Amino acid sequence: MRLRVGARTDTGRIRPQNEDAFMSQAEQGLFVVCDGMGGAPAGEVASEMAIQAIARRLTGTDTGEDSTSPFLPHTTRLLDAVRQSNEFIYGEAQKDPRQTGMGTTVVSAWIREHIAGVAHVGDSRAYLWHNDRLEPLTRDHSLMEAHIEAGLADEGRKLPVEQQNVLLRVLGREPAVEVDVTEVPVQSGDYVLLCSDGLTRMVSEEDLAKAIQMFQEPQQICDHLIATANQNGGADNITVVVVEVTGGWWHRLINGVGSHLRRTLARDSMRVSPLNDPRPH
Amino acid sequence: MSKLTLQYEGIVLKDHAVGSGLTIGRLPDNAMIIDNPAVSGHHARVFLEGHQVILEDLRSTNGTFVNGRPITRHVLQHGDEVLVGKHSIVFDQNAVEPQPVSGPPLESLGDTVYLDTKQHRALRATLESARADAAKSINARPATPVTTAPPRVGILRVVAGRSEQDQYDLGAHTSLIGRSDTALVRLRGWFKPSVAVAIARSGNGYVATPLGGKTLVNDERLEGRRILQDGDMLNVSGLILQFGWKDGVPAESAA
Repeated sequence: MRLRVGARTDTGRIRPQNEDAFMSQAEQGLFVVCDGMGGAPAGEVASEMAIQAIARRLTGTDTGEDSTSPFLPHTTRLLDAVRQSNEFIYGEAQKDPRQTGMGTTVVSAWIREHIAGVAHVGDSRAYLWHNDRLEPLTRDHSLMEAHIEAGLADEGRKLPVEQQNVLLRVLGREPAVEVDVTEVPVQSGDYVLLCSDGLTRMVSEEDLAKAIQMFQEPQQICDHLIATANQNGGADNITVVVVEVTGGWWHRLINGVGSHLRRTLARDSMRVSPLNDPRPH
Repeated sequence: MSKLTLQYEGIVLKDHAVGSGLTIGRLPDNAMIIDNPAVSGHHARVFLEGHQVILEDLRSTNGTFVNGRPITRHVLQHGDEVLVGKHSIVFDQNAVEPQPVSGPPLESLGDTVYLDTKQHRALRATLESARADAAKSINARPATPVTTAPPRVGILRVVAGRSEQDQYDLGAHTSLIGRSDTALVRLRGWFKPSVAVAIARSGNGYVATPLGGKTLVNDERLEGRRILQDGDMLNVSGLILQFGWKDGVPAESAA
């Protein structure tokens, strides 16, 4: 397995500063996007702190496995790192009055041996592009999403503008936070996309899908998506990390030949099957 | 060109071109086969009438639903979600572009706000009661039961080949088969793939995804994701395993 990566962050067209932060470490397969809140400098500080805390925890020595975890060891470690980063930011915020009230979202993916462990808090999102289709891997911890989950989608959409930005969970605001975790197998040809809400509020999921399909190259996808978000208003900071899962060169070669053969064979053996007799059983 | 996309618990299983029409059912003579006891042998059919695509229920045992309503005959509209047993089939009128999951709102934004725990609890209570009311009054989706029963646990029984155990419980979210240290079922030998297959929980079932080497399910090459059924035979790079349910829990209660 090989990962090709693109990443970019942009202040957007309205906000005075960029409170988003990201980390993209293709070698380790580790990717994080954070969207800070609480106003300058606290928001910037919180998102950067979260990234640093997670990186420290994961690049340090393994603190021992939690054998009760239903997830693979690397996913469990990622979950632990996100929880730790919450404690860290909360602790720092208590120490410095200028930073009280700072918080940040986080969406993180650690891809090892074809399994992406994903942990998130807040409304930064992860998507999987698989089989020419975009699948959400996360669910926002937002007031809007809570309405949708409660079966009140229409009321969620009708929320006044000021309530559309209400988050129900963030890092750094409480001594402990509930972190959502999932795991998904990734195959060659799949893409994992992490982003802040500055992207998803400005660009539809349909257009995210189109960008992946059209550009294929991770950095080009990021650049295009950020340009589109800015064209559509750029109301918030925008961060996108795109990870393409590919095989090794020999794997790609074999697969290329294989899929060519399969296509040829499929063409030769293709026949139109008549409509089945539609009788009830 | 219009198409139908078969999904289970939000996972896309297969696209079917509508073409001149197709039948949907459990038996192998259907164009769209849904191998699940909740689905009748010949459950429904889709055919063209002029420019319209018609969906017709073939007097199935458990019925056919479109966007939550039972139908006997229905003119399919772009985006319609057809429910057959627990599987959903989404109708796409012009299947050229990828399907959006949903459209985001494009209002201007204020600053992001966070609700503290106390506010959050109060809000959650309001939403919970609203959810309960909605469930009582609408009774909308028949095939999404709100059960809180613990999910069934699947197992892999070793039928043939070298392995450390005779049987493996699929208790984790993701169970791997391969040479890797993290694999539940360890494959031995230099040329075995590090990770051959991932078996992941999905709703109340399990989905197998091939990641390396050669894997067969019931003698068919595993190419994409596949929901495992009770009794499925897996051949993972030579190791033969049978999927089943722990404690012999019956596969499905429906039909």
